[in-house]
Amino acid sequence: MSRLNKRRALQISALATSAALVLAGCTSNGTEATATPGDAGQGNTTATIKFWDPYPQYEAGGDWDNQVKSCAPEGSTIERSSAPQTDLLNQLTSAVKEGNAPDVVLLDNPLTPEAASSGLLATAEQAGVDVSGYDANLMGPGIIDGVAYGVPMGSNALGLYYNEDVLDAAGVDPSSIKDWDSLNAAIEKVVASGSKGITFSGIAGEEGVFQFEPWFWGAGASLTDITSDDAVSAGQLLSDWIGNGWAPKSAATDNQSASWDLFLTGEYGFAENGSWFAAPAAANDGFAIGSMPIPGKDTAVAPVPTGGEFAVAPLQSNDASDHYANASAVISCLMSGENGSVTSETLGFLSAKADVRAAQVAANPLWEPWVPIVEGAQGRTTDLGVGYLAVSGQLSEAIQGALNAEGNADAVKAAFDNAAGL
Amino acid sequence: MRSSWWKTAIGLFLTAAMLFPVYWMINVSFTRRESIRKGQLFPIDFTADHYGVVLHDQLPYLGTSLAVGLGTVAFTLVIAAPAGFALAKLRLPGGSALGFVLIVAQMIPAVVMALGFYAIYNRVGLLNTIPGLILADSTIAVPFAVMLLAAFMRGIPREMMEAATLDRASYWRTFWSVVLPISRNASITVALFAFLWAWSDFLFASTLDREGGDLRPITMGIYNYIGAQNQEWGLMMATAVVASIPTALLLILAQKYVAAGVTAGAVKD
Amino acid sequence: MTAISQRSAASPRSLDAERTASRKKRDRAARWAAIGFVTPLALYLFIFYVFPLAQNIVMSLQRYDRGSFVHGGAPFVGLDIYREVISSSTFWPTVAQMAIFTLVSITVQYCLGLALAVFFRSDFRLSATLRAFFLVPWLLPVIVSGTTWQWMMSADNGVINSFIGLFGVDPVWWLSADNALWSVLIANIWLGIPFNLVILYSGLQNIPESLYEAASLDGAGAWRKFRSITLPSLRPVTLITLLLGLVYTLKVVDIIWIMTTGTGTSQTLATWSYGMAFGKGTSGVVRYSEASAVGSILLVVALAFGLLYIVTQSKESD
Repeated sequence: MSRLNKRRALQISALATSAALVLAGCTSNGTEATATPGDAGQGNTTATIKFWDPYPQYEAGGDWDNQVKSCAPEGSTIERSSAPQTDLLNQLTSAVKEGNAPDVVLLDNPLTPEAASSGLLATAEQAGVDVSGYDANLMGPGIIDGVAYGVPMGSNALGLYYNEDVLDAAGVDPSSIKDWDSLNAAIEKVVASGSKGITFSGIAGEEGVFQFEPWFWGAGASLTDITSDDAVSAGQLLSDWIGNGWAPKSAATDNQSASWDLFLTGEYGFAENGSWFAAPAAANDGFAIGSMPIPGKDTAVAPVPTGGEFAVAPLQSNDASDHYANASAVISCLMSGENGSVTSETLGFLSAKADVRAAQVAANPLWEPWVPIVEGAQGRTTDLGVGYLAVSGQLSEAIQGALNAEGNADAVKAAFDNAAGL
Repeated sequence: MRSSWWKTAIGLFLTAAMLFPVYWMINVSFTRRESIRKGQLFPIDFTADHYGVVLHDQLPYLGTSLAVGLGTVAFTLVIAAPAGFALAKLRLPGGSALGFVLIVAQMIPAVVMALGFYAIYNRVGLLNTIPGLILADSTIAVPFAVMLLAAFMRGIPREMMEAATLDRASYWRTFWSVVLPISRNASITVALFAFLWAWSDFLFASTLDREGGDLRPITMGIYNYIGAQNQEWGLMMATAVVASIPTALLLILAQKYVAAGVTAGAVKD
Repeated sequence: MTAISQRSAASPRSLDAERTASRKKRDRAARWAAIGFVTPLALYLFIFYVFPLAQNIVMSLQRYDRGSFVHGGAPFVGLDIYREVISSSTFWPTVAQMAIFTLVSITVQYCLGLALAVFFRSDFRLSATLRAFFLVPWLLPVIVSGTTWQWMMSADNGVINSFIGLFGVDPVWWLSADNALWSVLIANIWLGIPFNLVILYSGLQNIPESLYEAASLDGAGAWRKFRSITLPSLRPVTLITLLLGLVYTLKVVDIIWIMTTGTGTSQTLATWSYGMAFGKGTSGVVRYSEASAVGSILLVVALAFGLLYIVTQSKESD
């Protein structure tokens, strides 16, 4: 009796599983997100506009939130929600697949080519976004195969912060730091005087690569060949810092915020970090913080990667024109004229338009040291386009290997060679 | 009773060792940002500011978490208890196949399920709702609940079941009046886990409830303090502490109910 | 029962048939009741588990990238993805790391959980409260507890290095690529103790006090009682705890991710799959098919242990 029932149960479950497999197979192919044309000019704005950004720390009622909501066109309200960077791209992917995409997304610039070539975005033209007037180096990541997909919100940049008190006590003159050798000499003096050396972020992933690129490019290396001697020398620089105890071992797992937390303890002389900390740095309580450009191997200013997000309009499958009209209205409002300057200030970016930038600096001299850095910044994806993500992954493996090598030159070289083979 | 105090001492020591990371958390929640990475044993650079901010921001999220947690417990028990009974006592045809399926069900990465749910929820309109989140969180607990309840119910002596059937009680009556009360221990254990898993879920919340505004649980509320390049650990730790207090109280209450043994009471009858 | 057996003396054959008939009827009724009780679960399982699982398997048989995930058109490649994954240089080291992580985790968690459960069973003052406090680690969001462990294990000024420094031990780089496995292991054990403690304690409560009293009367010592009464009585609960512990540990991603983002030796099949599915970890390239393939392999491993459990458990109930 029971054997018969067991067989029947097995039959039923087999049937159920195959039904599920067939169902899954059918629904996983071809989706609802077909490339409907659609044009901002032909649509009307809708009552609710969905806006996604990667700033969960800016809460409802705060400056940024108000800035966004004030850009709602007549008769509409903006619903703003946030998520961390990589999550944002993945959520956008699911949303576009289900035909449920928001009207405007602020996407990190190295992810924009990936989003565009995966068919997640509408072109700037479709979305009625004006792309004129932006600096070429900052606009670079948003142009894929000659087509523009959005506009840069502004740029942040990496610089070298230093603890003025610690440097004074160690007898280091900040203006003497003009290349790697002088930087290493300064760090050595700082450590000899009893403080700790330099903090940076070497965490696995794009954030660590972002922090590494000024040293990488400063050594003359290029993303097209990450096993070159120049590239390895950049890795060696960081590895030696760990090996000598000049940088904390937690650099291998710290992100930029954690690295800043370490610097804030006042125990470190230097910190490689971004312009988003410029304002808090100027207002710092315990000790005075200065900043300077990151030195290159033989030059005073190393090229840094462009930071900041792009305002883009996701691809829509239903009522596309209306959604693009929404995007057009909101993005134009946020980025043009006076308001463009307010947007950049609120986000803590330097504007991507030269004239607006000049106005920002005039209003807030805090930005002055950062202007040359931003103007010399290089887009990460400008040369490699979509291929950047794969190279970045390899570079990340190399960095992790170099940091773990603690100065061992053979291990560092091996790390870079192995990483390229991945 | 004389030996009791040294056991209490050992108990306190073990608990302290186990909860040391929690102490560290509280330590950090009272420390100013610049001293958080100094590794000091006590909050020398003391500040209560973090708590002020947290209590102002996070209360709606705490409420949502509580609602979702309790809802998940209720739903899980409703689905799992009858099934556990069937598996354990009613000679379910294909019972071992079902047991096998339950194990497999728990192996499916939550990520895979969340993505699958997104598609379904979008079509049914359950996105960004509390019932939707309850349904999703229950998938974490239900297979475990069925297995645990079945395991405990198997241990119920056959005599007790037959006593009920001799009274001509229907299976439902037996289940409701005899088996469930005896399985109180197991049910409370299941409820505990279901609540805790729903409370700490982040994946389903962030996939299925991302635009929920105030109707998001505390695991997402905490992400308000994780900016793109800036994380406020003092605030996050304070949030974790504040979130733990009501649930710790709930836990202590629930533990009191996992009291004396099941068969002890039954045998007396 | 007694009444029937008395009657059977009168007319064996007809009463046998009567007995079998009524038993068959009861069995059938029981079976239908069982199906009724289990139907909500069956439906629930199908919608919420079978469907996503099938999708996952289908995904591992096609070569997806972000574009084809959204717009369809991913080519069917059969088992190619599996071949690539298994022959990649990361696969076997990752499997070994996962094996160490899982087996050491569940063993230590179980032993510590059991020891604590036995300890707490003897009622002493504050035992209920302390037992409740042991669950506090589970109330904390993993991002908080994971980061706390990361800080405690910081090589330069973490509390753990300060502590072992008191005994003259050199500071250890806990989160280096080589040591990462042991560091996440420690944190995972810490996370798993409450689970084992609660279930084993519940199980201990079900052992009748009378058994222990009888053993004491026979002059058995504490260890003897533990070996001959506690352990055997706990067998079904032990089996389920170990099995579930195994299944959950195989799946663990968050604690590892928060502490080390799965770098170095802390990479397991689960973290590898997670990184590839979301473009997190070292590489931002999203690899849906490879992630699904690794996920399916993980599933097969769990299935194997699941089968083992079913076999062991059915031997139990016989």
